[in-house]
Amino acid sequence: MASTVLKLEGIEKSFGGVRALKGVDLEIGAGEIHCLAGENGSGKSTLIKVISGVHEPDAGWIEIGGRRFTQLSPIEAISLGVQVIYQDFSVFPNLTVMENLALNMELMDKRAFMNYRRARSIASRAVAQIGFDVDLDERVENLSVADRQLIAISRALLQNSKLIIMDEPTSALTKKEVKSLFSLIKELQSRGISILFVSHKLDEVFEISERYTILRSGENVAKGSTTELDHRAFAFHMTGREFSAESYRPAGPRGEPILSVRGVSLRGCYSGISFDLAPGEILGITGLLGSGRTELVETLFGITQPDSGTIEVRGLPAKIRSVKDAIRKGLGYVPSDRLTEGLFLPQAIDRNAVIAVLDRLSNGFGFLRRKAVAETTLRWIRELSIATKDPSLPVRTLSGGNQQKVVLARWLANDLSVLILNGPTMGVDIGSKYDIHALMRKLASEGLAIIIVSDDLPEVLACASRIIVMREGAFVRELDPASTTESVLGELSTGVA
Amino acid sequence: MITARRFFARSEPWVLAAIVILSLLIQARSGQFFTGNNLVDLARAFIVPGLLSIGCMMVIVSGGIDVSFTAVAALAMYITDKILLQSGYEGNVILAYAMSAGFGLLMGALNGFLIAFLRLPTLVVTLGTGSLFTGLMFGAFSASASDVPPAIVAHGKETLFTAVNSDLGLSSNMPSQILILVGMLFLAFLLLRYTMLGRGIYAIGGDEAAAERAGFNVRAIKMFLYCLVGVLAGITGISRISMMAYADPSTFQGMELTVIAAVVLGGTRVTGGLGTLTGTILGIALMMILANSLILIGIPTYWSRAFTGAVIIIGTGVTAHQIASTHRSQRDLKKT
Amino acid sequence: MKKILTVTLGLLLCVCIAAPLFGQTYDAAKFKSSKPQSQWKIALVPKDATNAWFVRMEQGVKRYAADTKINVFQKGPPKTDAAMQAQVIEDMIAQGVDAICVVPVDIAALEPVLGQALSKGIVVIAHEGSSLENILFDIEAFSNEGLGQALMQVLAKSMGEKGSYTTMVGNVTNASHNEWADAAVAYQKTKYPNMALLAAEPRVEIMDNLDTAYQRAKELFKKYPTLKGILGTSSLSTPGTARAIDELGLKGKAFVTSVGMPNENKPYLKSGTVQAVMLWDSAEAGYAMLAAAVAVLKGEKIANGINLKAKGWESMQFAPGSKKVLLGKSWVNITKDNVDSFGF
Repeated sequence: MASTVLKLEGIEKSFGGVRALKGVDLEIGAGEIHCLAGENGSGKSTLIKVISGVHEPDAGWIEIGGRRFTQLSPIEAISLGVQVIYQDFSVFPNLTVMENLALNMELMDKRAFMNYRRARSIASRAVAQIGFDVDLDERVENLSVADRQLIAISRALLQNSKLIIMDEPTSALTKKEVKSLFSLIKELQSRGISILFVSHKLDEVFEISERYTILRSGENVAKGSTTELDHRAFAFHMTGREFSAESYRPAGPRGEPILSVRGVSLRGCYSGISFDLAPGEILGITGLLGSGRTELVETLFGITQPDSGTIEVRGLPAKIRSVKDAIRKGLGYVPSDRLTEGLFLPQAIDRNAVIAVLDRLSNGFGFLRRKAVAETTLRWIRELSIATKDPSLPVRTLSGGNQQKVVLARWLANDLSVLILNGPTMGVDIGSKYDIHALMRKLASEGLAIIIVSDDLPEVLACASRIIVMREGAFVRELDPASTTESVLGELSTGVA
Repeated sequence: MITARRFFARSEPWVLAAIVILSLLIQARSGQFFTGNNLVDLARAFIVPGLLSIGCMMVIVSGGIDVSFTAVAALAMYITDKILLQSGYEGNVILAYAMSAGFGLLMGALNGFLIAFLRLPTLVVTLGTGSLFTGLMFGAFSASASDVPPAIVAHGKETLFTAVNSDLGLSSNMPSQILILVGMLFLAFLLLRYTMLGRGIYAIGGDEAAAERAGFNVRAIKMFLYCLVGVLAGITGISRISMMAYADPSTFQGMELTVIAAVVLGGTRVTGGLGTLTGTILGIALMMILANSLILIGIPTYWSRAFTGAVIIIGTGVTAHQIASTHRSQRDLKKT
Repeated sequence: MKKILTVTLGLLLCVCIAAPLFGQTYDAAKFKSSKPQSQWKIALVPKDATNAWFVRMEQGVKRYAADTKINVFQKGPPKTDAAMQAQVIEDMIAQGVDAICVVPVDIAALEPVLGQALSKGIVVIAHEGSSLENILFDIEAFSNEGLGQALMQVLAKSMGEKGSYTTMVGNVTNASHNEWADAAVAYQKTKYPNMALLAAEPRVEIMDNLDTAYQRAKELFKKYPTLKGILGTSSLSTPGTARAIDELGLKGKAFVTSVGMPNENKPYLKSGTVQAVMLWDSAEAGYAMLAAAVAVLKGEKIANGINLKAKGWESMQFAPGSKKVLLGKSWVNITKDNVDSFGF
């Protein structure tokens, strides 16, 4: 390893008696891409704030560029070449690209007046560093998320950075954008800039970083070279739990189908879809974005109406004209974007959990029976181990995995026959992901019929008892997960061998 | 660089177009709009709301809302007026302005302290202080309409020029207070555009956390802002009573809503971050032309409120629609 | 369902119990005093002891004392405050006065204490408090109709009884302002055939704001060059309009009058822009209140036509449908000659 850019030793930090960091070490070499991984609450964010000078550590020391500190100010950190790119990028959406790039520099230089000529030259210099082609006079709110990130990166580079810390940089990016971000990171690396990449996404850690440090509950649990890390070890370090990755097999013989779909078509989305689903089964539907998988399950849930074909529930023809119809027939749906479609974020957890069963929990006058609400909520919070102190807190205070569990709780509170999950673990941390998988298996073994729609192939393989691959609106093939692999599924989805 | 797309995405051109159309309508209905004395009358009506709109716009840009500035203006001018009357002051009006601005500063500092340091929501704070100041005025000072000291009377008689409408034999005087408005607008322009303090106001309105991280002293900026609003309100108070030579403590009542509506009409984003002085001036101009031309258009009194309300709804609706559509296009961007 | 029934019944019961409290009438004849006149003590409680309007009222009280040698005095709260006023009245009851005359700050705040006074046999007379329940009589300076006519007389005189005019109210929702204006217009139609109400803008609203009055007046004179007069109701109409007349150069060509305060209008009265504004004299009102109280104490019957001996209060008439509210014809034209004599 080349010379060290940053070295932390024995960093401790407590907040009001809660020990967030319990003696953490971290070492990053010059020009190294280092991944800091850990679940929510593992102390990642606190550690970043210690490095950037926002928090003063209670014990331990920080060595940057060969100088040792027991505490840092934000200004010192910046002047030493440490820059943080926050998850929200810390940009001003209402100001122009030019001002976003120049303001921080001007403030660092303690300027009292704004000089637009100087600002423009700073801004041009900033974007030129990474060959970022953008209209300097555009307002940032009119740019894509990826472009905002590039602005944050260009701005960070202006300060002669030696180490750039990126906090969950891919969380709002599309796959394509993630690719170009990664090539930019490599480009920065080639200039000798070190990157501390904070993430909990395994694939990214493997793809981009050379070395890793994993934190759990404020402690170092693992570090080393990424090449020596595998999926299971990563999941174990992150969560401290062993996960077995066997596939799901329904117990006993297949019963009468609860849901039968016969030749349903919706123009421009999918055509000629037929399948049966029996209690106890988990049907995995996979396919690329735009393969018609989401449109299909939205039809099942009554959000769209098919042009032709029939749907039967418990052997009887079912006309599902609306979501209300679907719920009445015992169908439940958890959409992929739970943040915008499934939850009322500012509302309390308990309210969110019971919203689908309000009819059952209200008395003859239409008033809510508060006690019944409280009981139902508590039951599901326990059952799903939702990590919250108080069910009356708003849902947005929860982590992604726990938010997802609230959505599940909502449906499970309603006696369901078929549960449809679209991207059930998208953006969810590993621990919660395994919890959700286990929960699905448990529910299926108790007789629920489940459909999961996902392009997370390991997930489909691990959970489904049958897999259907969709491409361009049609079913390509039905597979048994026990006798197939990720690469087969991938080839079928893309049509490229 | 201003491209055509960017130009029409702003609200200023639309407000300006509305003003032109309204002016032509009034001219067609009355033949009196484009006369020197009518324009002077409108300019005169423009002064007080114009002065108040400067601070109001800055607060909204910073992501807050202030509904107390009219109460500040009324109380500052009333105390000043009473003190000067009782002391028999005979000197220059500048002292009146300075005193009233000083009282405004104190009241603004109270707002600023509650908002910047105790981090209370701006609407709640200013609703509270607004009631408090009005309550003090009518309670502690048992305010009622009052004379004004000779310095203010004399100031009110200062006329820059007189516009004469020879057809009707009517004339109108341009009051000297218009210079105060022009001066304040110029200072506000410099502040907002060319100082880091001014840019900080926009930055806070865009993203307060980002502003803090970038190195803006957010508390100091907010404190300054609310103090400035207080000072402007104090100055406005004296301008108002000098133009009528009469201090009526309820003269500002309800004006805050007109001013806020005009500021929003002028394209200032209600959620903060965006807003220009040009837009604000145009918004106020539109509102004032409207308010002071209903008789010229020939709209009966009983319909005037409905008419004004409709214009506000349509005007702010257009602005809101623009915001909504930019949001929509951003969301589409994210999805692809 | 049960709950709703209970609540409804409860509410009904409350209404039944409370009903006698409303619309209670007192028999004035029972308040005849048995004491000799020399031992009577009558207090007049104004809204505010220091306000110029009530300082002027006290002159009427002193004149009444001098005229009748009865012990009458004025005692008001140090500032306009409903609670303080109630306190003053309680003090008066404790002092054992025989009659209380009051100009109420807040109707609701005074009802209990005035009820207490009546129950102790104290005569209660109000002025500008026609909706008070616990009083024997309320005397008002004028009827809406009378004031409207008087305003029209002033405007017609200024305009030479000919030309176009319009009306200006404080607020289109203000009932009495509209009644004054309606009465004025009706009076013009019968008395001044050469005058004409401006049909396009028969009623202009100034939102109870001086500056708005000024702006509206300017607009009116621009839009309607033949307009010669404005009949205002709100006291802000005249100073606002007069300033517009001066500035537009219409002095002597356009005229305005309204209810108005002497000081506010002094410059325009002195310069001749305004010929007269109307007001009732608080000194006369004070004098009349005391006269009404004394009439009750003497056991005189209060009926239509009663003379309260103050100027404009000589022939009081009950308001239509009321047995408590008496209306006078007491207004004064404030002109450049008497404007200095009021002290406010």
